[in-house]
Amino acid sequence: MNAESAICARGIIRDFQAGQSTIRVLHGIDTDIRSGEMTYVVGESGSGKTTLISIMCGILWPTEGEVQVFGTDIYSLSDTELVNFRLNNIGFIFQQYNLIPSIDAAANAAVPLIAKGMAIEPARQKAIELLEKLNIGDQANKLPNQLSGGQQQRVAIARALVHEPRLVVCDEPTAALDASSGRRVMDLLREVAVAPDRACIIVTHDNRIFDLADRILVLEDGRVTHDGTDMPDDH
Amino acid sequence: MALLPQNVSFSRQILPILALIGIVIAAFYIFSDLPDRSTSEPEQQPPKATGALADSARVAGTGLVEPASEIIDIGSALSGLVTDLRVQPGDRVEKGQPLFLVDSRAARARLTEANAAIAEARAAINEARTAQSTASQQLALFRSIDDPAAVSRSEVIRAEGEAAAAKSRLNVARARLSAAQASASSANTEIGRLTVRAPISGEILAVNIRPGEFVATQGGGGGLPFIQMGETNPLHVRIDIDENEAVRLQMGAEATVSPRGAAELQVKAKFVRAEPQVVPKRQLTNSAAERVDVRVLQVIYALPESDDFRVGQQVDAFIPAVDNGPRAPVQSTEVEEQE
Amino acid sequence: MLWIAIRMLTGDAQKFYGLLFGIAFSTLLITQQLTIFVNLIERGASGVYNAPEAEVWVMDPVSRTTDVNYAMPSTALDEVRSVPGVEWAVPHLRAVASVRTGTGDLEGVAIIGVDDATLIGMPENMVAETKEVLSQPDAVVIDDGGVFNLFENGEDPIGQRLELNDQRAVIRGVADSIPSFTSQVVLYTKYSQALNYVPGTRNRLTFVLAGVTEGETAAGVADRIEEQTGLKAETREEFAQAGVDFIVQNTGIPTNFGITVVLGFVVGVAIVGLTFSLFIRDNIKQFGALKAIGVTNSKIVGMVSAQAALVGAVGYALGVIGTVTFIWAFSGNPFFKGFYIPWQIPLISLAAVVVILAITGWIALRSVLNTEPASVFR
Repeated sequence: MNAESAICARGIIRDFQAGQSTIRVLHGIDTDIRSGEMTYVVGESGSGKTTLISIMCGILWPTEGEVQVFGTDIYSLSDTELVNFRLNNIGFIFQQYNLIPSIDAAANAAVPLIAKGMAIEPARQKAIELLEKLNIGDQANKLPNQLSGGQQQRVAIARALVHEPRLVVCDEPTAALDASSGRRVMDLLREVAVAPDRACIIVTHDNRIFDLADRILVLEDGRVTHDGTDMPDDH
Repeated sequence: MALLPQNVSFSRQILPILALIGIVIAAFYIFSDLPDRSTSEPEQQPPKATGALADSARVAGTGLVEPASEIIDIGSALSGLVTDLRVQPGDRVEKGQPLFLVDSRAARARLTEANAAIAEARAAINEARTAQSTASQQLALFRSIDDPAAVSRSEVIRAEGEAAAAKSRLNVARARLSAAQASASSANTEIGRLTVRAPISGEILAVNIRPGEFVATQGGGGGLPFIQMGETNPLHVRIDIDENEAVRLQMGAEATVSPRGAAELQVKAKFVRAEPQVVPKRQLTNSAAERVDVRVLQVIYALPESDDFRVGQQVDAFIPAVDNGPRAPVQSTEVEEQE
Repeated sequence: MLWIAIRMLTGDAQKFYGLLFGIAFSTLLITQQLTIFVNLIERGASGVYNAPEAEVWVMDPVSRTTDVNYAMPSTALDEVRSVPGVEWAVPHLRAVASVRTGTGDLEGVAIIGVDDATLIGMPENMVAETKEVLSQPDAVVIDDGGVFNLFENGEDPIGQRLELNDQRAVIRGVADSIPSFTSQVVLYTKYSQALNYVPGTRNRLTFVLAGVTEGETAAGVADRIEEQTGLKAETREEFAQAGVDFIVQNTGIPTNFGITVVLGFVVGVAIVGLTFSLFIRDNIKQFGALKAIGVTNSKIVGMVSAQAALVGAVGYALGVIGTVTFIWAFSGNPFFKGFYIPWQIPLISLAAVVVILAITGWIALRSVLNTEPASVFR
């Protein structure tokens, strides 16, 4: 492992129980994710990319292998330490956003700060600053169901970045968007999420945006089949 | 929630505040509405043992006030109509003072009759004396004549006979006088008996006859005694002690007595005596047809002079008890100690 | 996070009010039924509470309650008075008789003969006239519940003539008393008068009421009375309890009310449990997201607890307010006369609410805690 590696995964194996049989989803993955880059994890459905990313950001235990995030072996931490590690170091953007419907955009964006123990008002204030940067500052007091899909996604992005994590994990950010909006989101993400000391992992199978990647990991049947700056031709 | 100002939420702010106010009011209601289960002091004082008796062994009883002489139900020796009533309730009478008179006309008539018979007998005596004197003078005359021829023998005999007859007539008349005098005396006695007199000095407690009423020797109408009297100075009180308690009674000790309904009026009563006989309890329940199987020892106490007690009044009494500890359960073999 | 939790809860008004209703309904059912139950069985002790002066009740050893009694010889009064520690003792007669009303109806009544001199044994307060009216000839005082039963057409009871055991009785006053369990008409009169109203039996003295000298305890004096006289003596509390126990042992009331209370509990668990589970299920994705973002399980528990606490507190308050309103609204009804809410009952229902929420909250939490944070990526 080298110094710039944000994530250093070694020998990741993950099995799932399906009834009596065991299905091996990941077959020993060794990979590094570097800071300052936007790394795409690409693969067909069922290729194991969601499992891999879950393991890499500390929300799913691998059957075997170890993951170091910024030098910390996250699966040697206790449950609570792991949860706090996630809270302090990782920002999530979920495909379905998973915003809380009964609190407004600013509060939703401020959730990680609130979870860290910050008081409501300063947290909201900080979130509103970020929302302004994302050009939806005027929507800060609206509830999620009063926002359009794109606005909701921006709120979700704000939530992922508000606590300035060193790793941002983004699940299918463009799946629900048309090509131009998708590109806009990706531009936005590149603008706000990519920083020299921050790693950004994007899980996608949207080939329209592959050209925006700094690095692409291709997974097939639980194995990394490609690791490079460009998409292989067969995709 | 358009009715509410901005930033005020009904469910998050108003409802909890309403609930809080409501629960405070409810708690206030609950605590103010709790029933008062505490005991209260009696408004009027019930009879109670006071002083040293309050904490020590004692015997309680109820009693009736009575005269020191007990109540005397005056009777009449003879029956007849009441002609005169000389007393009324509350009067003090001396021993022998007439209380009432029963019709004495029949007796008086007999007296008159007897007096007439006395006069008659006296006249007869005079008449007999005169005859006797005449006869004896004649006889003396005949006896002074010495000449046997001057008076015949038969003349003398006749004169002797007359003299004897006159003497015996006198005797008869005297006997009749005695009989008449006895008859008069008897009538006088009867007249005396028709005047009913006080057997002792005392106070008239009740008068149940009025002039014109008929008194029989069997008692008056309605079973009431004609006149009730008794010595009310001092008054006595007859206290019933349950036979179960009687053994604990401290004989001779003073009793604390209070009249019914005036428990604060307490007096000390001196021991007089205990009745030798334990009798069935019958007073105080106000029921004529009382049937009880409780027997009581009656103890008599003398009340000090006081205006608070009247004959027949009910009283509550407390008497010191012999403190021999709590009574043991009655066992057949046990003989309770007598003091 | 609690701020978020509360907003999550109230954000879904339907479920929030559903939860409130469930808790409030359970609280109302449990509190109100327990209140009625307690008050109803306490009617068994009303005879004791209606004689506020008596600290000790003395009776024949076979007597059980104020209404199930056996008379003693009249000298029992003196025996009780003889016991040290007894400050005073007065006779008390309780019997049943039949009364003929002015209209000729026959009605069973309870005759209570109180001490002639002191009137000890009368209820503390009077609705009409004063206790002293008993000194008038043939006077009786009726209880206020009896007025309702005997004079349904709203006649003024004062001055009404009754016929008791061929004797004349005139109602001269109305007492403010707690009705008996059977709501029987009660006539108070002097002891000596009561003897005339009650058909003659050998013994009539049913109770001796006693006071306790200062410095003595009622229980101690009661024991001493039992020891010295062989009679049964109970303190006011004991005898009140005996009346309650008698009702409990001889009626199906505890079972019935017990079933209702259990039903209230079950309904509460069902409504609250279902609604709460639905609410949690609706929000399971948000909870999953929070878990992924980095909210510890203990904070999640705290959030759910806060939600349960808010629902519980508000719902419980509404239920208690409902009960109080009910009791208050019906306080004028003779059947509910003297009804009160013992302070323990709201605490019992509070405990029930806590248990309901603990059960349902635990069930709901289990699904949250079992949620894999990884599921948010699917």
